[in-house]
Amino acid sequence: MDAASNRVTPAIETVRLTKRYGSRPVVRDLSLRVQPGEVYALVGPNGAGKTTVIRLVAGLAFPTSGTVRMLGEDPHERPSVRRRLGAVVEAPAAFYPYLSGRRNLRLHARLAGGVPAGRIGEMLDRMELTAAADRPVGIYSLGMRQRLGVAAALLTRPDILVLDEPASGMDPLSLHLVHRVLHEAAEEGTAVLLSTHHLEEVVAYCHLVGLMEEGELIDAVDLRDRRARFRARVSDVPAAVALLRAQPWVREAQRRGDHLVAALAPGTGAERLAAALVGGGMDLFEIGPDVFDLRAHYRERVTAERARRTAVDALAIDAESPRLGRAGRGRGGAR
Amino acid sequence: MIALLTMEMGKLAHLSSVRLGLVVLALFPWLWAYAPGVFDVYGFFIVSGYQVPALSLLSSMAFLLPLLVAIAAAELLGIEIQHGTLPTVLLRPVTRSQWLLAKLLVVSALPFLALAWFLLASLLAGASFGFGSFVGGTGLGASGLLGTGTMAPAAAWVELLRAYLIAAYALLPIALLAVLFAVLFMNAAAGALATLATLIVMELLVVFPGVTPYLLTSQLSAYAAPASDLGWVVALIAFYCAAFAAVAVIVFERKDF
Repeated sequence: MDAASNRVTPAIETVRLTKRYGSRPVVRDLSLRVQPGEVYALVGPNGAGKTTVIRLVAGLAFPTSGTVRMLGEDPHERPSVRRRLGAVVEAPAAFYPYLSGRRNLRLHARLAGGVPAGRIGEMLDRMELTAAADRPVGIYSLGMRQRLGVAAALLTRPDILVLDEPASGMDPLSLHLVHRVLHEAAEEGTAVLLSTHHLEEVVAYCHLVGLMEEGELIDAVDLRDRRARFRARVSDVPAAVALLRAQPWVREAQRRGDHLVAALAPGTGAERLAAALVGGGMDLFEIGPDVFDLRAHYRERVTAERARRTAVDALAIDAESPRLGRAGRGRGGAR
Repeated sequence: MIALLTMEMGKLAHLSSVRLGLVVLALFPWLWAYAPGVFDVYGFFIVSGYQVPALSLLSSMAFLLPLLVAIAAAELLGIEIQHGTLPTVLLRPVTRSQWLLAKLLVVSALPFLALAWFLLASLLAGASFGFGSFVGGTGLGASGLLGTGTMAPAAAWVELLRAYLIAAYALLPIALLAVLFAVLFMNAAAGALATLATLIVMELLVVFPGVTPYLLTSQLSAYAAPASDLGWVVALIAFYCAAFAAVAVIVFERKDF
């Protein structure tokens, strides 16, 4: 596949992906796209269907309906596309416990068709596992296993990384290390899809966040838009909003309480915003990034979705009850 | 494929059921070689080291060997489920059928390896009786243990090797059936248990004389069958093996992990 077609073909694409176990839907109509170099985080409560999505995308489970494409290919029809995939789908990452970390990575390298000499040592070093590399994995801590899992996933320099809870059970230092390594992989052009509960960590480098609830993608937030937002306190907020709306490099400007919030075009910084406000005759008291609170957004969206579902269920019961009532009365009358 | 086979053989060596089985198979012939009640049961005294392998095989083909083979075969898949390594392997650019085929091939070698070990242990256990010419039979030929006169070592070796080879072949479908059940249930214990339950049910089906020749369990005594019956045995076992392996691959191809 050439570079030009890579630009138009998403690294990962799901279209109306649905998975049912029996009659119970676990994932419903889920569509998402991850381009090379993007990090897409799936977040949601336990049981929301994140792991099933990860397994469907990795080709471990079969969709009931809908499609999964990995670099434009169906991973079930073309298993060779998995040469370009690195994945951790178990938490903690699964390895043969009687083999050392190094031998487990060698085994992965053989299954993948080989890796350049020195790559295994490089990955062990990068994940700070060199000292434990020759000990059996059976005695590794949870965090060490997870780091070895990320090392195994990155071993072949994959174009796609799919990770289920890659940092679960980790201490803060390991957690930071794993997210830093994933960030670096994305900066090198790898598409990353991960499920996580670590909202603070992923918001720092993720491009997209998908919120899942009961198998559905209830919201998708593009954090790139949120990162280019700034908040300022000025002497005349309405005038500042009007001034900024006239600027071609301002995508959006609005009042929020005593503050002005502006979304700027990519590559535009707070310095330009400050200069424009001062140049427009405003007194500028304070300016800084408008930090997106993913945790608050998550809580708000999940709570709202649950309330909506409860209301829908209540309506359905109300609609059903007259019929049930008549049936009940009918039976009572017969007695 | 060679890399996969090497890996699977390595895993086989690490299975606790295989290690336990090797110990059991190493000790078992010593019980028979020196058991005080052999004469009461079989009506003869051991006079040659070549007779111990026969006694070992006679007393273990009905239950012990099928049990050990079924457990080890089911565990070769079950260990991946237990360690959670099955998805990890399937994420690599190896097709599911390639991977399962490697497992099936290694599992197919299991009865032959087990019986080679068992034969060696039996010969060691019988060493004190000597391996020269003797009056009697190996117990694995047409003349039984009593024989028809003096038996030369070369003739005894032929009977032993033939019987152990056929016995290993008769255990092959049991190993593959255990893999099939392990694939169906995704659990080693359930796979082994289902295999043993199937064998027990087959044992009970002898009350239907029409189906008896087709049963797996009927083939377990084929090591003593005359040469004229071997064609049927070989064909039937090959059919069972092909069917079990094919169903296992088909089911495995469509499994969610």
